[in-house]
Amino acid sequence: MTVPFAHFGHWWTSILYLAPVAVVVIWLALQSWRERRRDRTRGE
Amino acid sequence: MRRRVLAAGAAIAGGALALPAAASAHGLVGKQDLPIPRWLFAWGAAMVLVLSFVALATLWPRPRMQSLRERVVWRVPRVLDVLCGAVGVAVFAVVVYAGLAGSQSAQENLAPTFVYVVFWVGIPFASVVFGDVFRAFNPWRAIARAAAWIAGRVARGAMPEPLEYPRRLGRWPAAAGILGFAWLELVYVNRDDPSLLAVLGIAYAAVQLVGMSLYGIDPWLRNADPFGVWFGTIARIAPLRWRDGALALRRPLEGLPSLDPRPGTTALVCVAIGTTAFDGFSQGSVWNDLAPKLQQRFIDVGLSAQGALELAFTIGLIGGVLLVTAIYRLGIAGMRTVGEGRDARELTRLFAHTLVPIAVAYVVAHYFSLVAYQGQALAYLVSDPLGDGSDLFGTASSTIDYGWIGATGIWYVQVGALVAGHVAALVLAHDRALATYRDPRAATRSQYWMLTVMVGFTSLGLWLLSASAQ
Repeated sequence: MTVPFAHFGHWWTSILYLAPVAVVVIWLALQSWRERRRDRTRGE
Repeated sequence: MRRRVLAAGAAIAGGALALPAAASAHGLVGKQDLPIPRWLFAWGAAMVLVLSFVALATLWPRPRMQSLRERVVWRVPRVLDVLCGAVGVAVFAVVVYAGLAGSQSAQENLAPTFVYVVFWVGIPFASVVFGDVFRAFNPWRAIARAAAWIAGRVARGAMPEPLEYPRRLGRWPAAAGILGFAWLELVYVNRDDPSLLAVLGIAYAAVQLVGMSLYGIDPWLRNADPFGVWFGTIARIAPLRWRDGALALRRPLEGLPSLDPRPGTTALVCVAIGTTAFDGFSQGSVWNDLAPKLQQRFIDVGLSAQGALELAFTIGLIGGVLLVTAIYRLGIAGMRTVGEGRDARELTRLFAHTLVPIAVAYVVAHYFSLVAYQGQALAYLVSDPLGDGSDLFGTASSTIDYGWIGATGIWYVQVGALVAGHVAALVLAHDRALATYRDPRAATRSQYWMLTVMVGFTSLGLWLLSASAQ
């Protein structure tokens, strides 16, 4: 388990390329949840 | 269902991106001098896509691209078609002759540079701007048309009808052919052998001619000629359309929504993106660490060193195509959750055309430096195509100028191409969603998934490019 962390300096920037995807997924999931909740409220 | 889709997405994106950076871009020269870290470009690109998405959702309420509007600006003389075909046949003959009779050094012979730079990369670049130029110069089409014309004269109209092209086969032969060419370019050890390229060129021509004689020229070219189908698909981006003896003007991208989503279309585009992505990945440190280990495994089970290396690269190549297909399928699976009873297969085909600008963006980003530098080699290779010391046009002593664009300039072109390609894909997907879903809000919601796919492809593309200067 220590090997990946020992080389952390070599690959940590790769995570930064993944971050925009994660941010967009979280934002869209939140947006989708809010819209569904609003639709349910209207339905009632 | 939604949780499963999200979990699968996280796994695929993580698998794709949580690896150390891989190198890409052919023939990059010099060191980049960028004002911000490269990963910040991925953030900037993602912001551009999100802003584009919001702008589309608010300012583009109705489908505008689903019907093709074009204006004929020029009646093309019939003789021009014949002339272009003759030029195509002559160039094909010169390349094949150079490959067979010339020096067998890849640097000295015209054939490898022509096949891998001018043909494979240059034609897509030209197609994006000028339309389907390959169709005009396609040597196999020209030979088949000439043969059909002569046979028609000899038989006086008593020619048998061609067989009906199997609909189920669709564009699968084209997808398989492009995958085969990518295998030759990226996997096969002797890919630069001029005589091999010449023999393969002749074999390819023979297959095309037999196919056209069995199924008819146009049905075969529309479905089963891998290069004709692929270059023709890319050409739908262009504002020019050459068909039926006329040159027509249309808005850029407007030719793509009318792409017939017959079987194999999605596979063709996924193959194009996946093989280009693998080309970048295979030049990076991850693959360079992994490939020898895989090779050793295969040597241990009895393969030769070359066979083992090729098998390792074959696995990587297919893995790249499967990864891209999985990302797209994930977006489609997400869209299905929006409702209106849309079938995954139907959605996959309906949105397949949106992947074409992404494929072109990957090609431009990945091969721009190859064209920028190695493309100049054509100046001396046309003067000395056989590499025997001749100087037909007085340019045999010209050299490659590596100074006309630096590594920083190339990086900006690559980033610009990736962002532009993905914004174009978003526009196409948004327009198709508006035409597909009855409720405009459902259409916008369905595009949440496509936005995620686009951001994922952009980040993957920039990540693949990022290590080229490391």
